[in-house]
Amino acid sequence: MAATVAPSQSMMSGGGGLHPLQAQGLHAAQRQHQQQQQQKQQQGQNQQPHEDVEPFDVQNRHLTINDFVRVRTLGTGTFARVVLVRPSHGTEAERSKVYALKILRKTEVIKLKQLDHVRHERQILADVSGHPFITSLVASFSDHDFLYLLLDYIPGGELFSYLRKFRRFDEDMARFYAAEIVLVLEYLHEQQGGIAYRDMKPENLLLDADGHIKLVDFGFAKRLGNNDNEHPVETYTLCGTPEYLAPEVIHNKGHTTAVDWWALGILIYEFLTGYPPFWHQNPIEIYKQIVEKPVIFPHDPPISDEAKDIIRQFCTVDRSRRLGNISGGAARVKAHPFFKGVNWEAVANKQYRGPIIPPVRYPGDAQCFDVYPEEDAVKDEYTSEMEQKYDDYFKDF
Amino acid sequence: MSSTGFTSPFGANANPFGAPRIDVGPMHRVAEEDESENVASPTTHAFGQGPAAEGLTFQHTFGGDAASSQLEHSGPRSPPYLDTYPAQYNFARRTSVSAESLKPTSETYDNWVPPFSPKTPEQLERLKKAISGNFLFKHLEEEQSSQILGALVEKRIPAKDIKVITQGDTGDFFYVVEKGSFDIYVNSKSALQPGPDGMGNKVDTISAGGSFGELALMYNAPRAATVISAEPGCILWVLDRVTFRRILMESTFQRRRMYENFLDTVPLFSTLTPYEKSKIADALESKKYPPGHAIISEGEPGNSFFLLEAGEAVAQKHGVETPVKHYKPGDFFGELALLNDAPRAASIIATTEVKVAMLGKSAFQRLIGPLEGILRRERYVGIKSGVEDTDPLHVPKA
Ligand SMILES: Nc1ncnc2c1ncn2[C@@H]1O[C@H](COP(=O)(O)OP(=O)(O)OP(=O)(O)O)[C@@H](O)[C@H]1O
Ligand SMILES: [Mg+2]
Repeated sequence: MAATVAPSQSMMSGGGGLHPLQAQGLHAAQRQHQQQQQQKQQQGQNQQPHEDVEPFDVQNRHLTINDFVRVRTLGTGTFARVVLVRPSHGTEAERSKVYALKILRKTEVIKLKQLDHVRHERQILADVSGHPFITSLVASFSDHDFLYLLLDYIPGGELFSYLRKFRRFDEDMARFYAAEIVLVLEYLHEQQGGIAYRDMKPENLLLDADGHIKLVDFGFAKRLGNNDNEHPVETYTLCGTPEYLAPEVIHNKGHTTAVDWWALGILIYEFLTGYPPFWHQNPIEIYKQIVEKPVIFPHDPPISDEAKDIIRQFCTVDRSRRLGNISGGAARVKAHPFFKGVNWEAVANKQYRGPIIPPVRYPGDAQCFDVYPEEDAVKDEYTSEMEQKYDDYFKDF
Repeated sequence: MSSTGFTSPFGANANPFGAPRIDVGPMHRVAEEDESENVASPTTHAFGQGPAAEGLTFQHTFGGDAASSQLEHSGPRSPPYLDTYPAQYNFARRTSVSAESLKPTSETYDNWVPPFSPKTPEQLERLKKAISGNFLFKHLEEEQSSQILGALVEKRIPAKDIKVITQGDTGDFFYVVEKGSFDIYVNSKSALQPGPDGMGNKVDTISAGGSFGELALMYNAPRAATVISAEPGCILWVLDRVTFRRILMESTFQRRRMYENFLDTVPLFSTLTPYEKSKIADALESKKYPPGHAIISEGEPGNSFFLLEAGEAVAQKHGVETPVKHYKPGDFFGELALLNDAPRAASIIATTEVKVAMLGKSAFQRLIGPLEGILRRERYVGIKSGVEDTDPLHVPKA
């Protein structure tokens, strides 16, 4: 049987930061539950749980996968499958809610040596949830084989899909998305203790129903520190997406939040031309280009001098010259001529209208996402030996 | 506040992101584009007129639920306009890559030393030559290079037709051919297949002095080809990813911490935050000089600041017989060049072979900002005289 609400003592007494109304609700629920139990005992029944609605409360309940019904897959990556889900029980209002559930298989996490990365992902997502341009983490849980991150569902689909569909964006559109991303990076780097995101690309940028950016996939995010009392530490694990890797990552020189500004340069280039500046079928050739070649712009489409300049300044191998990393940080980026006339407060308040309004017909509509096969290939078993060795790493979920 | 309230640099447009947009516009725009393929890009002026009913067309072509093949994730998608697109660019979704996480020894407290297998001077020469052109080895420091050369281990492949690498398998090693030759086969199915032709087509042969499998030095990716020995009695040198990356990381990490510690002792930098000092540490460039070399020459304009990493040096002034100051590792000089344009007040001469870490004035200013600002920071006030006392390069104001 699915876990039932098991409010702790402090919750029952209205403590623990619980809203009194919620506490009341819990009291009521428990009273009802107790009555049911008594009835059952009296009648000698032990099968068929009562058909009454079991409340669905993501905040105060130990979730399991049985609390959800799978609607369809929204996306897959190297490490995870993200599925659109809705609650399997609860009031009608509760059941009409939808979420995105990111599912990671423990054996894959171990095999791909991502133990640290998934822990950082959960922790950092929890820390940055609530930012207007970042997907919120609602809850996390795990079972024998999987780790789960329950996220707000962002219905507009990947910016990637629109970019490929339109072939490329004009400079006004590119500027709109770049501006929102600048604010996200400013927040992560400068207001959140030096978090490097490390996987900027159109596939990880979703559009909400109004066409604003939501950054997803904090799988490689890492807190490097930038407070006044401690030296921040650079980090060394190579990670990211080949076309978007910064040269210092390829050379294993130790990297910092500066990698995100490099990637933003690549991103703006891809917005404006439809393809990244460094590409090849063979990844090694991409890396050679990244460390050895300058960014070259095509004749067609024509790209403005301001756009070329900001791309070149982001895609500068020397970090002591890279825009975003040099003195002034994000403020300097905002002052670049490419963003001339942008009212940054209005960007932050979402007062500019998104250039693409996704065709979302209702909250759980998934038509903006690609279709994926729903079946996983057969995977290794999570043995009890592995469980003993690794489950401690997953205890925060 | 409406979006039309912003002043705009874009002429008629009321905001820097182009014309104010309306919700149905883009849907209409997409529809329009689908119908007439000559619209170059979703420009902003193309919408706003005309009925919005074409939204249906949008759903039709864009609808994931309808399993529209356009957005099917598998396989490269073909670009809508081939003329200006790079012909072979793969338009599919890209997934991420990641190596195993590495933590420096000083954080994990284990005692890692790079593996070492001895080699003859001739072998070392050949190895050096073999990897010198490779972009992964080109920018290494001398110490890193020699550790990596030391870490390569010999692997003998006695017979012909032995598989060293299997296409589709995960890869952890990089190989340099010391003796013999190897054939490279690629199967178009991205993996070795069963049967006699399972290896696919032969695409190349690699002989002594050549190398293969370098992607494995970056992260664990499926092998793109099968490699088999083409003759008996082949010899390979082998390097694994973790050893390679760890050697690079340990030396960089240690040097960074050393620089940060050095920088903490420079009075001029005492008003900088640790964050700013880290950025300077990151921008320091290593240089070596022979004994007798003048690192700084009296009377010349100063452009750089130096940290003495290894070796010794002295400060000398014209007309003064004995050195006015001795420098040992951890000492610094020339920081006043970051402050003003005054000529160097003394020469700094290397007395042994020296290694310095150098920071140019322009790099300093790019990273930290204008110096006047730094001097005005409160914390600097108390230490100003300290600089004057300790640095013979300082030219007292007349
Ligand atoms: N909150 C969400 N709402 C809607 N879709 C989402 C959400 N989170 C993720 N997705 C979709 O799922 C895809 C894969 O998710 P994610 O990038 O987190 O997985 P991953 O395995 O870490 O990918 P990668 O290969 O980039 O590392 C995303 O690109 C996006 O399309
Ligand atoms: Mg992703």
